Amino acid sequence: MEILTITGILGLILLALLAGGLWIGITLAAAGYVAIAVFSPAPAGSLMATTLWDNSWNWALTALPLFVWMGEILVRSRLSEDMFSGLAPWLDRLPGRLLHVNIVGCGVMAAVAGSSAVTCATVGRMSLPELQRRGYSEDMAIGTLAGSGTLGLLIPPSIMMIVYGISAQQSISRLFIAGVIPGLLIMGLFMGYVMVWSAFNRKSVPPADDALPILEKLRRSRRLIPIILLIAMVIGSIYGGYATPTEAATLGVFGALGLAWITSALSWRSFVDSLMAAMRTSCMITAIILGAAFLSVGMAFLGIPLKLAAWVAELGLSPMLLLLLLTLIYIVLGCFLEGASMIVLTTSVALPMVVSAGFDPIWFGIYLIIVVEMAQLTPPVGFNLFVLHGMSGRDMWTVTKASAPFFGLLVLGVLLLTLMPGLATFLPTLMLSR
Amino acid sequence: MRKGLDLLYTASGGVAAVCLFMIAVTIVAQIAGRLVGVTIDSTESGGFFLAGATFMGMAYTLKTGGHVRVSLLVSRFRGRAALLSDIWICAFAMVGCGFLTWHTFLMTHDSWRFGDLSPGLLAVPFWIPQSVMLTGLAILTIAFADELVLAMRNRTPGYARPRDGALEGAEEAE
Repeated sequence: MEILTITGILGLILLALLAGGLWIGITLAAAGYVAIAVFSPAPAGSLMATTLWDNSWNWALTALPLFVWMGEILVRSRLSEDMFSGLAPWLDRLPGRLLHVNIVGCGVMAAVAGSSAVTCATVGRMSLPELQRRGYSEDMAIGTLAGSGTLGLLIPPSIMMIVYGISAQQSISRLFIAGVIPGLLIMGLFMGYVMVWSAFNRKSVPPADDALPILEKLRRSRRLIPIILLIAMVIGSIYGGYATPTEAATLGVFGALGLAWITSALSWRSFVDSLMAAMRTSCMITAIILGAAFLSVGMAFLGIPLKLAAWVAELGLSPMLLLLLLTLIYIVLGCFLEGASMIVLTTSVALPMVVSAGFDPIWFGIYLIIVVEMAQLTPPVGFNLFVLHGMSGRDMWTVTKASAPFFGLLVLGVLLLTLMPGLATFLPTLMLSR
Repeated sequence: MRKGLDLLYTASGGVAAVCLFMIAVTIVAQIAGRLVGVTIDSTESGGFFLAGATFMGMAYTLKTGGHVRVSLLVSRFRGRAALLSDIWICAFAMVGCGFLTWHTFLMTHDSWRFGDLSPGLLAVPFWIPQSVMLTGLAILTIAFADELVLAMRNRTPGYARPRDGALEGAEEAE
């Protein structure tokens, strides 16, 4: 049978099972099984067992549960309050004032939690009511939060980068480091937008609180500073080549436990809760990764990724057009799939095309993650939109409208990244030269 | 019966959590070993504990609604259609998972019969960590059967119960 027909059939099976509400990991494995059992003479059952086993004890993947656990420990301490009281005195003088707390807070939280819904929820729990009390524009309060929440995917250590690194077989360390500049860039875009916006909407920005002496400012952020130092240590040890991501994650876990212990936020109960929550999240993500690994084996058996890449090459699209098409496909996918599933589902097919079009796989990882970030802001399934809809009590339409400018800024970010690939690829090359 | 099953899921979830903790412990051992000049390679032990954390945690994650699915369409179903869609996914998952469990058993049996060892310094017989995978998958199959029975009796299955959680992916489309 023609390979494109087979691809089409597999695609339809995937779509039908997904729409039918079957769990994503099982759907992917089932499609992989069909690919092998129906279209090839190989023994599909035993291949499934051995593929799942081989992928389940992948060393690189051990960083994932550890980073998730680190985040769970820190989120369970009083981070939400500390974030607001620690950042507010420093950012109050900028044009746009405390709206920047949302952006910078999410940036810091992103490094801690590595997931955008957690980032959004932790920062927003404290800052939304505070901003409302002081009379800030509600649309901006919601929009900045929804937008900056997506930083969770990009600023290392990021769970999505581990997921991409595993499915694309790229170095997780290099991905982490590659994400630093684009992450800061997008933070800068958001902050710049808030400043410009506040220049035109002076009435919607309440006056600043009284200026505090520097010692008082430091005192208020005394609980935030150790966390920032911990993050710097984790990322620095990877960048400096002193630790693998897994080792850095272990460092992060024990650092987080230590911080929680010092601030007496650590009890047996919170320790067990954080461990169980981390296990649950990592189990969910690993299930998807394993399902996708088997589907990739199935597709590789039939030679689908290479055939598709050759087919796309025959179409003679320019690299930019290919990228544009992929972006549109991802945005549509993002309307009903969440981030990790999107990445594992598409990497094995998209990567050969992209690489043969001359793009760097690390660069593409960062690009893909920003596009997945955008997908967190598109209805009907934008996780950040759900979180904020739940937290603010406003309807989905209001939340979506408030986030729209930040969606636009992410598009701008992708554009800049495409025009200047060095934004992502420069830092990792420095790393290699060590 | 209900209590026994719930205990089984919680216990396997507990084992998974201990495995996660052990990943961190083996890596600390590796770093500590490097500092004092002893080679401790945690590539295998860390990996095996990861596999343990993943497979032993499957059933617990399912019953607490942790595994993601696209419920955009099916959440609109009401009454009979909703019941049928629940029954169909549970039945499909149970059969699929049972099939996988069987093949995992065959794989583990082969590893035991041929005495396969892991390739690193530890040289662990592969059947030991593989039996953890087998156990986890068997419990997951039981959990799917449990969910199927619950759905057929028109009770709310564990995966569909409302839950808190700002965890990524844990919340779904309404």
